[in-house]
Amino acid sequence: MSKSVRSPVGIVWRKELKDAIRDKRSVMAAMSYAFFGPLLMAVAFYVMISQLTDPSDVEIDIKGAEHAPALIDYLQQQGIIEREKDWPAGQQPIELVIGETWADDIATAQPAPVTLTADFSATKQRSDIRRIEKAIEGYSSKLSFIRLQMRGLDPRVVQPIDLVKHDTATKGSRSAILMGSVLIFILLSVFFSGMNVAIDISAGERERNSLELLLSQPLSSHQLVLGKAFAASCFAMFGGVLSVVLIPLIFRFLPLHEIGISVAIEWPMMLLMVLMLAPLALFATALQLFVSFRAKSFKEAQTYISFLLMLPMLAVFGVEFARLKNPVLYYLPLTGQHQALLDIIKGEALQWLPLLVSGVVTAIVSLLIIRFIGRMLASEKVVFGL
Amino acid sequence: MIQVTELRKQFGKVTALDGLTFTAPEGQITGLLGPNGAGKTTCLRTIYGLLKADSGQALIDGIDASKQPLEARRNIGIFPDKFGLYERLTAREQVAYFAALHGLEKEAGQAAVQEALERLDMLAIADRKATGFSQGQRMKVALAQAIVHRPKHLILDEPSRGLDVMSTRILRDLLRELRSQGTSILFSSHVMQEVAALCDQVVVVAKGKVAAQGTTEELCQLTGESALEEAFVKIIGTDEGIAA
Repeated sequence: MSKSVRSPVGIVWRKELKDAIRDKRSVMAAMSYAFFGPLLMAVAFYVMISQLTDPSDVEIDIKGAEHAPALIDYLQQQGIIEREKDWPAGQQPIELVIGETWADDIATAQPAPVTLTADFSATKQRSDIRRIEKAIEGYSSKLSFIRLQMRGLDPRVVQPIDLVKHDTATKGSRSAILMGSVLIFILLSVFFSGMNVAIDISAGERERNSLELLLSQPLSSHQLVLGKAFAASCFAMFGGVLSVVLIPLIFRFLPLHEIGISVAIEWPMMLLMVLMLAPLALFATALQLFVSFRAKSFKEAQTYISFLLMLPMLAVFGVEFARLKNPVLYYLPLTGQHQALLDIIKGEALQWLPLLVSGVVTAIVSLLIIRFIGRMLASEKVVFGL
Repeated sequence: MIQVTELRKQFGKVTALDGLTFTAPEGQITGLLGPNGAGKTTCLRTIYGLLKADSGQALIDGIDASKQPLEARRNIGIFPDKFGLYERLTAREQVAYFAALHGLEKEAGQAAVQEALERLDMLAIADRKATGFSQGQRMKVALAQAIVHRPKHLILDEPSRGLDVMSTRILRDLLRELRSQGTSILFSSHVMQEVAALCDQVVVVAKGKVAAQGTTEELCQLTGESALEEAFVKIIGTDEGIAA
């Protein structure tokens, strides 16, 4: 017998990869998430941007327009016009009522009542309402300037402070909130893309009755699991790389500049993101193998893994919404990569040490899980379900 | 040589092996004959180290698989109780995978795989994917996997189940050929004919113990019966779980 030239890990890895690539379902699963995730985001953003930058006229009900033709003219210049169509179902009408006493009030310099009736909590109408308020305020200050000038006063006396706003929000940091959700897609891509392969090479192996023979070969169960984990990680990375490449590409086609957001992720940063995802892919795969090696069938494993997918989502959304700012987050698996990705997208300086530490910690935890699965498979209780 | 001494194994309250002792010497075919649930599969799994015996030991050329599993497994070919194929791999790729796991790669691996495929007369299906293979073709792939690294010991768990006459013949010829090359072959069965036709030595197992041991003739003499079947029924005291 010739001497063993390669570690069994490599043999298992190569076989599993070949097997998985031939499985169209696995390849489709890995690709579809990476494709449709970012695409879905793009559509969502597109709708959001077009709503935010809506340049069309605001159509509202105006009562008593005949009392204040000058105000109506001004509002029209600001793109606020009288509505002729009915309000669509489910939308609260916005109504502006100009009092009958308008002309007299203006003439005698009394505050003229104008009533704005609307559902102020309706998010869809918020920007419309804000535009109406601004227009009315604008007209109001225009009038007061004229009145002061007519009385021989410098209008500037009623403006004791000139507030100059310097917006220090870089375009990048403004986009961070938006991009937070995109990050979740990138992070989860490694969890989704390798999932099918992970199930197939663990629970699938048991289901098709090939596990017993495989475990009776001259390789340790640890080597076997390691080879399998690397194969599934390759698929996870395939999805990860796809989404890292696709997401910036898709954003290039979105009119993000219209809402004052710039997302420019350069090649070195993309490369860094891919490097960051690598240990995470191994981590995801190790967790998936852990649960699905315990399952007796493909179906059972799928059930467990869908629960497992909640874990990264909870971690990422939890940190996002609870606005956790604990420095430990920078060092842990998953949250460490999440924070670093946030920094990259905000365009902030990267914290290299935590980044490195979280990468190493992720890899070590993954290898420990893999070692544990190896021990698990050496136990007859787990293998034969005794 | 495979030596099994005083093997005991308990699953909960069920005693699967109860002091099983026998040897499977080189150049001989040893048949493990017993009714369903006698402990045959448990015994074989213990020999290649997938199950741990509560006491006693199983040695393969003096190596205990529970202590040095990798060393022990290098010297054995296994045809397990359940074998599943990788449906997306061709027969050749499956056999090559197991050859590689035994350290046979590249040219050496290809040559070994080719030899095993030729020996089992399966060149016609060698480069087809396993999806759609018949039971007999699947069995051949599993057999090729077991012998590709030319093991000194061959352990087969009910190898003839589901086989047609032609496949059974190929299996028998293969086992005889390997025996003549000095391989020690241990196989379990509950099919009388098969055991009678093939085995140099029969170990009758019942309730986890060796009920009798010897050649077919010896067993018949022992019980005073002329057919192995009758002898067998007499030995285990019941005809339950036996196929003629």
